[in-house]
Amino acid sequence: MNNQKTKKLYEFRKVAILIAICLVFTILLPGVFLTWSNIRSILYSVSLTGIMICGATFAVLIGGIDRTVSGNAAVAGACCCSLLLSGDGSMGSTVLAILAGLGCGILSGLFHGLVLSRFDIPAFLMTLATNQVLYGIVQYITQNKLINVMNAKAFNTIGSARILGIPVPVYILLICFLVSYVVLNHTVYGRNLYSVGGNREASKLSGINCRKVICIAYMISGFMGALSGLILSSMNQQASATQATGYENDVLAAIVVGGISLRGGSGTLQGAMFGAFLIGIISNGLRLLGIDAIYHDLVKGVIIIAAIAFDMYSSYSMSGMKKRGPFRRKASSAE
Amino acid sequence: MAETLLEMKNIEKIFAHVHALDHVNFEICKGEVVSLLGENGAGKSTLIKILTGVYPKDGGEIFFEGKQVEIDNKHDAEKLGIAVIFQELSLIPTLSVTQNIMLGKEMSTLGMIHYSAEKKKIAELIQRYDFPLEADAIVETLSVAQRQMVEILKALSADAKLIIMDEPTASLSRKESEVLYKIINQLRDQGVSIIYISHRLEEVFNLADRIAILRDGKNVGLVDREEIVPGDVVKMMIGKRLSEATASRNLTLSDKEVVLEVKNLTHLGYYENVSFQVHAGEVLVLTGLVGSGRTEVLRSIFGADPYDSGQVIYRGEVLKKNRIKHTVSKGFGLIPEDRRTQGFAPLLSVTRNVAVTNYDALAHMGFVNRAKEDELGEAVVGMVDLRPANPNVAVGNLSGGNQQKVVLGKWLTRDLNVILIDEPTVGIDIGAKDEIYDFIEKMTMQGIAVLMVSSDIAEVLRVAHRIIVMKEGRVIREFHDGAVTQEQILLAQSGLKEQAKEEAQYE
Repeated sequence: MNNQKTKKLYEFRKVAILIAICLVFTILLPGVFLTWSNIRSILYSVSLTGIMICGATFAVLIGGIDRTVSGNAAVAGACCCSLLLSGDGSMGSTVLAILAGLGCGILSGLFHGLVLSRFDIPAFLMTLATNQVLYGIVQYITQNKLINVMNAKAFNTIGSARILGIPVPVYILLICFLVSYVVLNHTVYGRNLYSVGGNREASKLSGINCRKVICIAYMISGFMGALSGLILSSMNQQASATQATGYENDVLAAIVVGGISLRGGSGTLQGAMFGAFLIGIISNGLRLLGIDAIYHDLVKGVIIIAAIAFDMYSSYSMSGMKKRGPFRRKASSAE
Repeated sequence: MAETLLEMKNIEKIFAHVHALDHVNFEICKGEVVSLLGENGAGKSTLIKILTGVYPKDGGEIFFEGKQVEIDNKHDAEKLGIAVIFQELSLIPTLSVTQNIMLGKEMSTLGMIHYSAEKKKIAELIQRYDFPLEADAIVETLSVAQRQMVEILKALSADAKLIIMDEPTASLSRKESEVLYKIINQLRDQGVSIIYISHRLEEVFNLADRIAILRDGKNVGLVDREEIVPGDVVKMMIGKRLSEATASRNLTLSDKEVVLEVKNLTHLGYYENVSFQVHAGEVLVLTGLVGSGRTEVLRSIFGADPYDSGQVIYRGEVLKKNRIKHTVSKGFGLIPEDRRTQGFAPLLSVTRNVAVTNYDALAHMGFVNRAKEDELGEAVVGMVDLRPANPNVAVGNLSGGNQQKVVLGKWLTRDLNVILIDEPTVGIDIGAKDEIYDFIEKMTMQGIAVLMVSSDIAEVLRVAHRIIVMKEGRVIREFHDGAVTQEQILLAQSGLKEQAKEEAQYE
C-alpha cells in the first residue's frame, strides 16, 4: 500500500517537474517558448531519441544495457541509403532498402542478445566495443563520404511530411511507444522481461527461458535503433559516417533520468519517455535562451548526475535495504 | 606435559538478556590441536569472537602464556599471536601471494617496496612448510585450498602462536582436505596451537588432541580424544533436551505409487550413482553436510543443472535433461536453496512474483489477463496467510518467512505432482517455520510427492517419511523403517557408518 502510494507520487513528481521546467522557460522566453512551432520542434527532436529509448528500455530492464543504438542507427541509415542510390527509385526498391536497414538493426540485436545471454560479459563493455565496430562498418559502407539521397522522394517524405500539422516521425514515435507499452505491461513477454531483470536465477527456476527473453530484448533495441536511424537519414536526406554519434548517451541518460534502474527489473517506459522530454525541453530552452552550446552538455550532465543519485537512493530504499543508503557509510562500525 | 598457552576462565557474554556464554572455560596447550564442537548457536563463534577482540566479554579472565591479558580489539589479538582463518577468506584476489602476505607490513625504504626481498622471504617460508604454492602467483588463480594456505602463511609470518580455523574443509575436496590435515599436523609439530572448528566428526577424531564441547552457551566437556567415542560426543552436543522431545521419529515405507524415480544419477565432481524413489504423498528427505551433493541432485532433477549419466523418471516417463520448462509442465516445482538470490525478484510485487509460474493459465495468445492475475495475487495472499496481506507490496520488503511463503505460493497455485524443496526454513522465525511444515503436510495429503533437502536434524525428524543420508556425493545410508534418532542421523552424516549401524541394531 505504502509502496504503491510512493510509486504513484514518484510518477506524479515527474510530470510536475516537466510542467515546472516548461513554466520557467515560458516566463523566461515570453512568446517564444510556448508557441506551436517551438513545440513542434521539440517533438521533432525528441522523436529520434524517443524511438531509440523505446528499444533501449527493453535492454536496460533485463539488467543489461545497449550502447549500440547509435551504431545501429548509423549502419541502418548507411545501408538503406546506399541501396536507395543503387536502386531504380521505384516504390518496391524503396521498401526493400528500408527493410534492409531495419534488418541490419535486428541482426545486430540478435548478435548482442546471443552473446550477452550466453556469456558473462558486462553488457556495458561489450556494447561500448561493438558500437565502435558498427561505426567501423558504416565507414566502410560510406567510404567516409556523405551518401546523398536527395532524389529518393518517397523515402524523404518520412522525415519531412506532416499529418495534421504534426511531423510523421512524431507519429512513428507514438506508435513505437504504444506498442512497447503494451508489450511491457500487457504481455507475458513483458512480465518475463521484468522478472528476468529482477532476478535472473529465480526466473530460470520458475521455468522462464531467460536467454530467449534477453535475446528478444536486444533485437527490439536493435530494431528501434535502426528505425530511428532511417528517420534521421530521411530527415537529412543523406547518410554520413558519423550519423547519430553520441545519441546513445542521451538515450541512456533519459532512461536513467526516467527512473529505470540500471540494475534491471524496475522502472516504466513512461518514465523513460519523461527523461527524453526533460532532456529535449532543457536543450531547447537553453538554445532559445541564447546560451552558448558549449554549456549545454555541462547542464545536461549535472541534471543526469542528480537523476542517477535520486534513482539510486529511491531504489535502495524500495528494495528493503533501508538502513544503509549508497551514500552513507555504516553509521556504527562496531555493533 | 606441554605448557598451557591459552586459558579462558568463566567467560560470560550476554546479548540482550540471552546468556550466549555462561561461565565457559577453555584451554589449549602449546603445540596442541583442540577441536571446538557444538550445534549452531551453541556459542562457538561468540567464544572465538571474544578471543579475537571482536566482542568485549562481559565477565571472566583470559590468560595467555601465563599472563592475564585484555583483548579489546583485533590488534591486541594479533600482537599476542592469535590469528583466525575465516570461512570467507580475506585475501585480495588481484594481488600476488607475496603482496597479500606482506600487506600492511611491506619491506620498504622511503616508500619504495623491496619486492624481490619480500618474495625471497615468502619463498623461504613456503619452502619451510612445503606448501604447493608459488610466491608470485596471483591469488585469484589459486584454488580455495591454496588460498587457505596463503592465509595460514600470513598468520605464520606474523609469528602466530595460536591459529583458529573455522570450518576450513567446508569447501575443500577430499584430496585438498588431506593436504590441510598434513599441514595442521606439521604446524602442531612446530609448536603452533590450533583451535579447530568443524561439524565433521570424522576429521575431528583424526586431528584433535582434545575436544571441547559447548551446548547452549555452557561447557559440557573438554576431553581427550582417546577417552571418548563419537556417539558420546553427539550425545553431549545435543543434550537431553532434544533427545527426549523430538529426537526420534517412526518412519514408514509408503505403499503408494512411485511418482519420481532417480536412477544412477551422476554428475562428475558433484555426485555419483544416486538412486531413489519418491512415492505419492510421501516426504523423502535428503540430508548430509553442506557440500555432500544434495542440492546439486535436486537441481539436476528439476532441470536447472545438467548431469552426466543416469535417469530421472516421472511416472514411468524419462524426463529430458536440463529442461526446466519440461519438468514444470509435468507438475514439478522447486523451492530453491537461497530464496534471496534464487527465489524471487525483490523489487516486483507479490502478484508479479507468484504469477511468473502461472502465465500458461493467466494469458491468452501472449497477452496477460490482468484481472485474473490480480485474482491470483489475492488468492495466494489468502492461501499462505501472507503478512501484510497485500499482494502489491514488493517482495523485498517482506520478512524472511513471508518471502519464503511467496516462493511457496509460486507453486501452490499450480497443479503440482512433485515438489522439490531445498532448506526451506533457513533464517526463518519459528512461527513461520511451523506454517511451512503445515504446507508440506497439506501437500502430502493431496498426494504430492515431496523431495526435501535439509540439514536441520529437528526439521528432518519432524517432516520426513523416509531419510537418505548423503556424503561426498554418494548416498551412504537410508532410513526407511522404524524409529530413527537424531544421533543416528548425525553419526551417519559424519560418515561414521559402522557405529551408526551398531547403534541402529542396538535400538
